[in-house]
Amino acid sequence: MKKFLLIFCFALSSNGGFSQIKSGEKLVFAASYNMSGLMTQLAQVTMETETMKTSKNTFLHLSCQAATYSKWDSFFKIRDLYESYVNPTTLKPSLYKRNIFEGGFTKTEKYIFKSDGRTVASTSKRKNNPETNRTFTVGNSTQDIVTLIYKLRTVDFQNFKKDQIKSLALVFDEKEIPVVVKFMGKETLSVGNLGTKECYKIAIGAKTQVLKGKDKNIIWLTADTKKIPALIKFSIPVGTGQLTLSNASGI
Amino acid sequence: MRQLFLVIASIFSVLSVVFAFLPLGTLALIPVGVALIFGFLAHKKSDTKQAKWVKVVLFISILSFFFVVGKEFLTKDEVEVDQQFDAKKVESKKEAQKELEGLE
Repeated sequence: MKKFLLIFCFALSSNGGFSQIKSGEKLVFAASYNMSGLMTQLAQVTMETETMKTSKNTFLHLSCQAATYSKWDSFFKIRDLYESYVNPTTLKPSLYKRNIFEGGFTKTEKYIFKSDGRTVASTSKRKNNPETNRTFTVGNSTQDIVTLIYKLRTVDFQNFKKDQIKSLALVFDEKEIPVVVKFMGKETLSVGNLGTKECYKIAIGAKTQVLKGKDKNIIWLTADTKKIPALIKFSIPVGTGQLTLSNASGI
Repeated sequence: MRQLFLVIASIFSVLSVVFAFLPLGTLALIPVGVALIFGFLAHKKSDTKQAKWVKVVLFISILSFFFVVGKEFLTKDEVEVDQQFDAKKVESKKEAQKELEGLE
């Protein structure tokens, strides 16, 4: 499931623009995996936003949850929770948390983004391993996976030309991963409860073992101001799959 | 040749039943399809006296087919309410609130 999410986020890009993401938004996706040529639905991925207030600041809480459908739970149960707390205007992250349960394997991760914008203090714990703490530096525009998913939607693809590329960086598993986003044009798709919409087609490439093939990892974003992720197709070393938007609310 | 077709059809008809009960969705149609193909081939090569076991294999495969298709259309994909996961989410939010207060 981490791969689903990683691919999901690879679509993303930051232009340093301002947030168009509203609090109270909920997007529900059906995650499918290609098994011997047949797409089989495995899990539900839910992305939600909500406001979180502290004594001095207001944050936007971005969360992404993945849960296998009940019929799969006894075979390979997944309950993943990815969260990011960001500035509601700039979407700059302050805190990122990851809590995964995948078929008995567990891992928790926490990144605190220091105010200098380059230093990340991480805490990580894998099943049966002791907790580790690290501090490492990343690029100024490097962000966590959840924030990047939302940041993509602030990019003005309207002005992109076909095959135009944008280079990005992502921090995942305590590593900085270079990401390349390529605008491939527009296509019309069925977008869950939103009907049929014209979408931006964007290919994602990353210097990681997780993604496979050239222009085989693609995300479609609605070509309007909301830029709702409508469909994500991915190719990983063990197969292919997709995330299809089934319901969008609060947008 | 009839024996070979029959053995393959029999093996795949058993797999059809197993796959039909597993949550494999339409993937279970693969062994069903193979069992049906080899079952029909075996049936073609069998005379009336030899066709009994072939008919059993075909019957099991057809039954599995309807079971898989019926399950696919009648069963809704849904996520079970998971109180442990819900509690984890609430706890995570509380921890985050403390962390964010500490950052300021």
